[in-house]
Amino acid sequence: MRIEVNKEKCSGCHLCEMVCSLFHLGIINPEKSAIHIDKDDLDTSLHTPVLCRQCKKMKCLNAERLKMTPERKKFIWDRKRAECCPFDALPILGEEAFHCDLCRGNPRCVKVCTPGAIQIFK
Amino acid sequence: MDRNYAFSGQFCYNPGRMVLGRKIALLHLNKDSVEILPIPLDLRNKFLGGRGINMYLLSQSYSPDLDPLSPENPLIFGAGLLTGILGFGSRINITAKSPESGHLGDSNMGGDFGAELVKAGLSHLLIKGRSRKPIYLFIKNRNVEIRDAQKLWGLDTVDTQRIIRQELGDEKIQVACIGSAGENLVRFSAIRTGMKNSAGRTGMGAVMGSKNLKAVAVRGNLDITLSDPKNYLKYYLRTLKKLMNSKWVQALGRYGTPLLFQYANAMGFLSIRNNQLTTIGEQGYALEAEALEPFSTGMLSCFGCPAHCRHRFSIEEGQYKGTKGEGPEYASIGSLGSKLGNFNLQNILSATELCNRYGLDTISTGSYLAWVMELFQRGIIDQKMTEIPLNWGDGKTILKLIHQIAQRKGFGNRLAEGAFAKRIFGEVSKDYLLDIKNFPIEMTDERLPKSFALGMATSTRGACHMRSRPSLDILGLPEKILKKIYGGRVSDQFSAYSGKARMIWWHEIFNALCDALGFCHFLTVFSSPHAPQYNEFSKLIALSTGLAFTPKELKIIGERIYTLERMMLVKDGITRKEDTLPKRYFEEPIPEGPAKGEVISHEEFDGMLNEYYRLHGWDENGIPKRKKLEKLGLIKKE
Repeated sequence: MRIEVNKEKCSGCHLCEMVCSLFHLGIINPEKSAIHIDKDDLDTSLHTPVLCRQCKKMKCLNAERLKMTPERKKFIWDRKRAECCPFDALPILGEEAFHCDLCRGNPRCVKVCTPGAIQIFK
Repeated sequence: MDRNYAFSGQFCYNPGRMVLGRKIALLHLNKDSVEILPIPLDLRNKFLGGRGINMYLLSQSYSPDLDPLSPENPLIFGAGLLTGILGFGSRINITAKSPESGHLGDSNMGGDFGAELVKAGLSHLLIKGRSRKPIYLFIKNRNVEIRDAQKLWGLDTVDTQRIIRQELGDEKIQVACIGSAGENLVRFSAIRTGMKNSAGRTGMGAVMGSKNLKAVAVRGNLDITLSDPKNYLKYYLRTLKKLMNSKWVQALGRYGTPLLFQYANAMGFLSIRNNQLTTIGEQGYALEAEALEPFSTGMLSCFGCPAHCRHRFSIEEGQYKGTKGEGPEYASIGSLGSKLGNFNLQNILSATELCNRYGLDTISTGSYLAWVMELFQRGIIDQKMTEIPLNWGDGKTILKLIHQIAQRKGFGNRLAEGAFAKRIFGEVSKDYLLDIKNFPIEMTDERLPKSFALGMATSTRGACHMRSRPSLDILGLPEKILKKIYGGRVSDQFSAYSGKARMIWWHEIFNALCDALGFCHFLTVFSSPHAPQYNEFSKLIALSTGLAFTPKELKIIGERIYTLERMMLVKDGITRKEDTLPKRYFEEPIPEGPAKGEVISHEEFDGMLNEYYRLHGWDENGIPKRKKLEKLGLIKKE
């Protein structure tokens, strides 16, 4: 399972970011979210939701031999792993990075995305 | 600054990072002084936030003698109590005494600025004084810095935002700023953020300009903690689902506010040529929502909004090729289009974008242009004064005048005075400026919808549809449903007078509450009976802040805010005689179209006004009664 992005539809509302931090951390902070909207709001270019693509070969883990350990499914990661992501898909704040755990099978961001820019792909 | 005046002797509650922990920054630009204080819980309990607390703060220094362009006029920014969290909008009110009307000034703005302010740990700014040189403020996580803005002076509102972001090296900074219009103290200039969002009405941009304050830039990433995060999320998702099932929100997300244009045109309550006509029939297709589609490049949302009602557009060919931006809203299409007899959509898009860049309110700009075009049509002013002919629908002239107004050049310098230009154009000109409390009416004509007419007459910021307009009235809902919403009989006939006072009274109070919470009217019962209102608000406030208000108590807060606004108007000497409509509404029946023959009856209007005052607890002159003020806690009990 992964979350598919259709950037043509993104309205740039940031609801996905808020709901992600609220679900995982019990706070609202769009920067402590595993999804972020890449946008230039002073231009008419498209907004792009960016988040983990759930790659089979996880380059973010680089040389780490984690296999199916719980660490792979954690929400808060070390920034070093995010820096290894070839898609720059993991938001970083300070020394922490935020990694999409698909809300343990029921992604909340998809529920609040009213234009349908992010959808579950099984 | 006068911290004592603001919060003397009140209990201060400081729950850290909670929603209620958002603070206020008091700034005095003469002294370069900044002070950050907690907002007392008592004040939150009485006024919540946003427009509510803004009105409390304005009322502390409001007087008939206060010159709106003087350093003493406080410029107040106030994000709603629930702005910046998952809610139904994330809006901010900007409030001061208005240089446009000379009375109460207040404007509500969407976009991302309000949310960024609360992420920076603040909800309110109270700015007094005047800087000697142009400055801007940079607020980052409760730290306020005053910075030089000499290089920014003269830049348009989009370039200003871009250059501030570059200068500070952070693309996530949100900026509220003025353009040339505000710098030149054009009385109807706006404060702007993003490509289009504006605190447009009542000239707040001129107040900012008078303080030599070019911009307020904010950046924040503080955590916001909620009282009961788990249940808040659950409840929010449930309410969101219900809202998104409403036809209104679905249509809004597809077409934006331009969908309202066709209602107004088809029913005959649109302003054409300064309200000489109220419909353009099939010609109106050129300005309807679907006509915008070829230029639309998608729909956008303000921060935290599920409805995404904002168009963005790009003109790819023809005379206006290369123009791109956001909008236009129905109000701008009406004001810079049909009201001026202008049915060229591309010209309207360009005119709107030009106003946005200069920081001019599109509604007032259109209203004053319509006024002088009618004066020109009637020979009350001529080309000796205007330099160019002012013909209806002449797009080139419209664009030229917008440039002149913002730069205060030529005839534009006179127009920049707004309603105060009556003294320049002479006594006869007064009848052709359709204004209420020295503030011009907007893109609609209210002779058909009597509820709308009353709402314009009683609005606390002068002719304004956002203070109360019950768009529900358009839907013709059964009286049984109307009674359930409004708590009394309301006629289901759009043109009837009966019960409409109740409707306006109800919405005035409700809208004041929405603005105190930072919610968008479009996501509430404004246009859909299924949208969130008092019950939902009560629950969202409790789960996020821990404050327990019953729906009835919330209604009292809305009433307190509205009555306090009325008290400021009463200080200016405004009473029943100013709660009226333009002469044309009483004396000239609509000449043609579906609303032909509609006119306001003095007697019926007086009846509505009596009922409206009774519901508010105001006397027959529209002055709040002592008992009401005591009950609302606005004065001490004897």
